[in-house]
Amino acid sequence: MSAGAVLYVEDEADDVFFMRKAFRAAGVAVPLQTAEDGQKAIAYLDGKPPYHDRSLHPRPSLIILDLNLPVLSGFEVLEWLRRRPEYAGVQVVVFSSSGRPEDREKATALGATDYLMKPASGFDFVDVVRQLQARWLLNGRGDHDGTRPPGAENS
Amino acid sequence: MPLGKLTPAGRGRPSAAVSLALFILLVGLMAYLRLHLYADRTVTLTYGLPLLVCFFHRDRRLLWAMAAAFVAMAFYKSFYLLARTGSGTGFSPEAAWLMQVTNIAAIAVAVHLALGLTDRLRAQNTEIERVNRELRQREEEISLQNEELAQQNEEVQQQSEELQAQSEEMSAANAELAKREKMQAILLGSLRSLDNDTKLLGDVCRSVLDLLDGEADAAAVLEKRGDDLEVVAHVGVGQPIGSRSPFPNSFTSIVLQQNSTAYLEDIRLRPDLRQPPLTGADFRSVLAAPLRLNGHPAGAVKVYSLQPRRWTREQFQLVEWVSAQCSLILETRRLQKELVAANENLTRTVEQRTAQLQELVNELEHFSYTITHDLRAPLRAMNGYARLLSEEAGHQLPSDGRDYLQRIATAAARMDRLIMDALSYSKAVRQELSLTPVDAEKLIVGMIDSYPVFQPPYARVEIESPLPPLLANEAALTQCFSNLLGNAVKFVEKGRQPHVRIRAERRDGLVRLWFEDNGIGIPTEMQNRVFVMFQRLSKDYEGTGIGLALVRKVTERMGGKVGVESEPGRGSRFWVELKAAATEGEA
Repeated sequence: MSAGAVLYVEDEADDVFFMRKAFRAAGVAVPLQTAEDGQKAIAYLDGKPPYHDRSLHPRPSLIILDLNLPVLSGFEVLEWLRRRPEYAGVQVVVFSSSGRPEDREKATALGATDYLMKPASGFDFVDVVRQLQARWLLNGRGDHDGTRPPGAENS
Repeated sequence: MPLGKLTPAGRGRPSAAVSLALFILLVGLMAYLRLHLYADRTVTLTYGLPLLVCFFHRDRRLLWAMAAAFVAMAFYKSFYLLARTGSGTGFSPEAAWLMQVTNIAAIAVAVHLALGLTDRLRAQNTEIERVNRELRQREEEISLQNEELAQQNEEVQQQSEELQAQSEEMSAANAELAKREKMQAILLGSLRSLDNDTKLLGDVCRSVLDLLDGEADAAAVLEKRGDDLEVVAHVGVGQPIGSRSPFPNSFTSIVLQQNSTAYLEDIRLRPDLRQPPLTGADFRSVLAAPLRLNGHPAGAVKVYSLQPRRWTREQFQLVEWVSAQCSLILETRRLQKELVAANENLTRTVEQRTAQLQELVNELEHFSYTITHDLRAPLRAMNGYARLLSEEAGHQLPSDGRDYLQRIATAAARMDRLIMDALSYSKAVRQELSLTPVDAEKLIVGMIDSYPVFQPPYARVEIESPLPPLLANEAALTQCFSNLLGNAVKFVEKGRQPHVRIRAERRDGLVRLWFEDNGIGIPTEMQNRVFVMFQRLSKDYEGTGIGLALVRKVTERMGGKVGVESEPGRGSRFWVELKAAATEGEA
């Protein structure tokens, strides 16, 4: 797998802001790419314009996916991913404000590797990033191979 | 009875005095004649003559006493008187005496025997008379008995006739009852079938004709519809005139007006009334009873005859009975139909309402999650920016400014909790809670382990082991316990370490879990209100006013109860009561 990137699919600009802030605060050097709805996320993954330049928009090894998205929802992105064998190794962490067990179950059934609830404060995103760092070895060198590290478990 | 033993009945022994008198008289007379008057001569007057007196005075003592006296007299005369005078008969005195003794003895014996014979005869006669009397008596008795028997016989005959009559009446009544029963079966059967009333009424007409046993020629049920009269059902001779016939001036109109059973002996005698609405038969007589349709008299059960006739009281009652039964059944069917219709209506309404409600619930659920997502996002941002500002530029702000930022962050956080709690509450109201055995102790221990706020040095939570397993929904119970524990450690005077004791109390099939704290306590008047939504006791402590309402709601949804005992300043003792799990030690 090529040098990793993290794709954050999120329509809330504030959440994107806090995520970037948290990445910096946690010292994660892996580039954070964003898409603001499901359709754009799929375009990004497919390398379609405006995401066709892989040097600017590298293929992600981790996707942080909100569920409630405009155009195509997070679930639809998960379904799309499942039909693409070339993304079989990509980790998808659902990052949602929904604590509904059925959402969690559906996401897991559709192939999400993890399910994290958004904290009550954007300021606390850094805790989430640290958790991701620990689990997915986001160490900033970009040599992450995308496989599930030992000791990783669902919350 | 042997005759020898018979004694002369009805006669006593012959009087001894009479015997003595007769003896003296007769013996004296003989002695005077023979021994005195004619002492020297032989007298032909025989000694036997006085002995014959004994046939009249039947005393054998007299007989033999006289015989002895005469023997003695004969002896005296033969040997002394005649011998002295010398006059004689030519016989020696011995011979003369012996002849006379023989004579006396023979007569005495003859009289004796004759007396005995007559005695026996008399006894026999008496016996025969007695037997005859008895026989007569028996005869009388027998004839008396015969009379009685004849009387009894007559009575029996009479009773038998009565019985026969009763038996005939009974069998007639039985036959009638059987017919009525059959009719009722038809009527009741119609309650089960959903056929229309017309078929039922046809059956009724048939039954009426059957019950009247050929005394009527047609039966019909008529119904008033507006100003018209319609033949709803008809059996027997004639045909209903196809369309309706006018109601006014019909016999039915009279029956309905008077609301009582009536008959026309001869229709021809009432030319003012309309003819029966049946053609093809010249009816002469009609009997009709009013029929209740749709709750009021609106028709009639009618029987027709081709002959003018007076209808009997029984026939009158029969038609009345049929009409009453018919009314009842029709009424019942009407109510039944109304009920079915109402029921269908209700079912439809319920279905519609349920669908509407379901739609509403779905909308509400969607709304809830929209709230979660859309309302929480700005709060997350508010809190985030406030804290970011505080961290990155807080030192440039005066202390007031830093305080404001803190307040913004706190308010946003509280709003977020409020939203989450309200969401939990609405979920608790809606969600189906399946109950399984839950190990309460394990649950609470796990809770304490995962939240530092329940551990020293922040707090001390003690469990009085063992807590029995409960029949509950694990997720709901977790929510319930975490709220109770959270409250227990939260509402404590500042500077005091919260101390919570959890213990169980078993009460027939139920388990009451107590959460006893050393907190600020709840005033008595507030204790009922703490479980009410948005009722907060103190502004000094963080809270949304939903926690305990949620505790009560989920406990009630699990079939349990909650309560509190408390005194201000002396802590609170909250309890949750739920069913005990059937098998112990199973979680």
